[in-house]
Amino acid sequence: MQTAIVKPEPVELSRPQRSRLGAVGRLAGAIVHDPKAMIGVVLLAVFTFVAIFAPLIAPYDPAAQQFLPMASPSSQNLLGTTNTGQDIFSQLIWGTRQSLLIGVIAGLAATVISMLVGVSAAYIGGTTDLALSLFTDVFLVLPQLPLMIIIARYAGQGSFWVIIAVIVITGWAYGARQLRSQALSLRHREFLEAARIRGERTSRIIVFELLPTMTSLIVANFLGAALYAVLSAAGLQFIGLGNINEMSWGTMLYWAENNEAMMSGAPLWIVAPGLCIALLGAAFALINYGFDEIGNPALRATRRRHGRRGNHS
Amino acid sequence: MIDRTEPILEAKGLTKHFPVGGLRMPFSPQRLLHAVDEVDLAIFPREIVAVVGESGSGKSTVARLLAMLYRPTRGEIRYRGRLLGSLRTRRALLAYRRHVQMVLQDPYSSINPVYPASHGIFRALQLHAPHRSAREQRATVERSLEIVGLTPAAEFIDKYPYELSGGQRQRIGFATALACGPELILADEPVSMLDVSIRIGLLNLMAGLRDEQGVSFLYITHDIASARYVADRMFVMYGGHVVERGPVEDVLAHAKHPYTQLLLSAVPDPRAEVTVGPSSETGEPPRVVNPREGCRFRERCPLAIDECSRVTPRLRELRYQHFAACHVATRDGDAGSTGAWPATRTGDVGMSANGQHEGAHDARGPGVVYEGVWSQGR
Amino acid sequence: MDGAATILDVEDLVVDYVGERSNVRAVDRVSLQLAAGGFLGIVGESGCGKSTLCFAIARLLTPPAQIVSGKVHFAGKDLVQLHEGRLRHLRWREYSVVMQSAMNALNPVMTVGAQLADAMQAHERISKQRARDRAAQVMRLVNIDPLHLKSYPHQLSGGMRQRAMIAMALVFTPNLIIMDEPTSALDVVGQRSLMKQIRELQKQLGFAVIFVTHDMSLVSNFADRVAIMYAGQVVELGATRVLFTDPKHPYSAGLLQAFPSIHGPKQRLTGIPGNPPDLRYPPKGCRFNPRCPQVHERCLVEEPWPHVLPDRDIVRCHLYARQEAMAG
Repeated sequence: MQTAIVKPEPVELSRPQRSRLGAVGRLAGAIVHDPKAMIGVVLLAVFTFVAIFAPLIAPYDPAAQQFLPMASPSSQNLLGTTNTGQDIFSQLIWGTRQSLLIGVIAGLAATVISMLVGVSAAYIGGTTDLALSLFTDVFLVLPQLPLMIIIARYAGQGSFWVIIAVIVITGWAYGARQLRSQALSLRHREFLEAARIRGERTSRIIVFELLPTMTSLIVANFLGAALYAVLSAAGLQFIGLGNINEMSWGTMLYWAENNEAMMSGAPLWIVAPGLCIALLGAAFALINYGFDEIGNPALRATRRRHGRRGNHS
Repeated sequence: MIDRTEPILEAKGLTKHFPVGGLRMPFSPQRLLHAVDEVDLAIFPREIVAVVGESGSGKSTVARLLAMLYRPTRGEIRYRGRLLGSLRTRRALLAYRRHVQMVLQDPYSSINPVYPASHGIFRALQLHAPHRSAREQRATVERSLEIVGLTPAAEFIDKYPYELSGGQRQRIGFATALACGPELILADEPVSMLDVSIRIGLLNLMAGLRDEQGVSFLYITHDIASARYVADRMFVMYGGHVVERGPVEDVLAHAKHPYTQLLLSAVPDPRAEVTVGPSSETGEPPRVVNPREGCRFRERCPLAIDECSRVTPRLRELRYQHFAACHVATRDGDAGSTGAWPATRTGDVGMSANGQHEGAHDARGPGVVYEGVWSQGR
Repeated sequence: MDGAATILDVEDLVVDYVGERSNVRAVDRVSLQLAAGGFLGIVGESGCGKSTLCFAIARLLTPPAQIVSGKVHFAGKDLVQLHEGRLRHLRWREYSVVMQSAMNALNPVMTVGAQLADAMQAHERISKQRARDRAAQVMRLVNIDPLHLKSYPHQLSGGMRQRAMIAMALVFTPNLIIMDEPTSALDVVGQRSLMKQIRELQKQLGFAVIFVTHDMSLVSNFADRVAIMYAGQVVELGATRVLFTDPKHPYSAGLLQAFPSIHGPKQRLTGIPGNPPDLRYPPKGCRFNPRCPQVHERCLVEEPWPHVLPDRDIVRCHLYARQEAMAG
């Protein structure tokens, strides 16, 4: 039988490990070259760092009411103090944890659900698709904010997990629709048929054959969901539906608003957490934009189409 | 050469209709696309059967029905005597897939780009031979790669699809199908999307697999010349029907159905001397929706008679093991080919010098030079 | 070339794909001539540069592809030097292009007639009535009933759409039509039919044709002359029948060999082992040397000249160096 190797073959022999690293390396390279993505990554990295090392960075215990209330920013209290004498800066640092965690966890959960529902609907088709799409549509048309408020109310004192649950319940449907659309366009790829022919289970085909080719959209979905989560959590906490005794940017806003921080000379109490929320959200959004521009070349093969088909029966 | 024992796969009355059309007026009949109608087919061990046709002929649908990707509207398929419809458990289905595999047409979309190209081969082994150790599996994968000519296998095992050419990818497709140890491989236009000079290599591979590994093939193609090159028997399909079938050389030398003759007259051959006659408007293959009775080729057929519009012709044995579904051919008996289209060749198709009836013996006819070079005997 | 005037003269055309780090030479010093009313087939496999060549001649290249050097003499001018404005004037009137899978290039939301009119009005100031008449005329030329002018592309069959594209290329009866694999999406029978039609139209209207394809059997019965391309170069060029009966370049011989025949005894064929080279790293010397059954030392180091033989305009192969010298 003929061998089919042509020398010199410019392609290096690649072990799977190296290729994957190579792909990550190329992705990193692509990010570095794209200013939007770069800024987003840096912001996110900063927030993550702060969240992890909060105890080391925050100068004081955020709940300790040890200072002069409503003080202006000083060298002692970089952002001033609250109406009960707590250091705003320390609260901001500690609050990063909750806000970031909610964003990431809720974003992840919503993405996973939208993935499973959307892609399964598209791949399985038929009545399953009809049922899942109907299910998705119901959640899509529910008005999010009122629903969030009602659920948070009835769940009692909104804890960390309740907030996450509320966000996920109201947020997964949009992504599911998007992923379903993309999966619909991909389901006729022949390698999926090939997987069926060699005997793979449908569930395995969806998870291991189809989803890996959709990673860029899934990541984009996650980033969008995380953004939505950060903003929604802040919103819920701001109107008092979160646990007002926990430390987060949203609850800071709640207390600040309730004590009319703007009016009574401590504007930073509102501005600081608000700015952080905006920046974290922007970080996710920027990375998302950057991803769109990078597209898939770092990770995917280019597909050469020869258009040489005799017929299509 | 053909092992006339039990067929691996046998189809009777195989039919597949697809509903088409959008909004339907109430009380109007469902519009059905007749992709395949009443097809009988049998594939025996150690042979290559070609199914030749153009678009809309139903040939790819037949392959997909046999691969259990579609469920037939009517008719039955038996694998070694067992009805496919009776395979319900996952185990039974998996066992079937072990024995009957498939190679797809497009090398650029039939391999998942995310994984190394050998991923499919490994998965096939994990599904069909799960008891093997990782080392044994790797050895089997390497062996499959070697059989299809991707050597040294150790180099190819880790390559990603984008590092491979079209021909190499298609070989991976064959290796994946082979890894299961099948008796039959359904090859759906495996070379149509490859460059011409690469096709021969893969066709030789198929013939070699038949001869050395004893694997049978159902070779779906629109290229009748390549069908002649590798196949032992041939089916010609048009508009969902089988219009002619028989041993390859016989069908070529004594084509009975006007459509087969049309196909033969259109085969491009760079070496043959040809005169360009006046252009004949030969029309195009139909999209068969809610058809009436009658031959589906009648509108394009220069020999069509009244009966052709009223009665659907059935396959009749016109020569030894050579069947055709044509009223005119049946009526004219064995007086050579129907000669529907002027021979655009000097010299005849196939090997017989004239179109005369041979007699009920060797269907290959006298004077067929069958190079045994790549057919290592039975 | 005898008889008719030369309508197209491509001289040492070079086309590169400009990359970030390096350039890839897709067309390497290609020269060819075409007589008025002639039919030139350009045959090659994927990656040989034939489509790029087509587009370069028609000045339709888009970045990153660009013409690096060479001349394209047509209608008394060098197309390479012309500005886009002047080119637009020439395009469609003096020459037109039918592209691969042209049938998919039709706008699905416009009727065929509207698209024909559109094409006409883009290149000439012409009244609606005249455009309509002309559209009907060209449709008849390609054997499509003019009532189909009101149809949308999806209502026509594949073959008809392809012929509609040819009609579009004919609206101003250009002197040259460049066709890039116009039949690849059709069935065997349809391909034959289309080829015959093109040939007839050519006889009727007298335009020259450049027909690019990977399937040499398509042009074998219709082209006067054939150019065989490999890895961006023309490796052989000559009269069709002569070239096909006596291919000189080992690649041409290999290609011809790769067609199983329906006549004569069944023979085992071997095709051409290996794959076309990656144009980023072409082999040293003759680009075909890794796959050539007749390779020898000289082929590995020295690139062959386009030798001229009595019965062959170009053969890029060392085997013929001596022959050329002897033929004087």
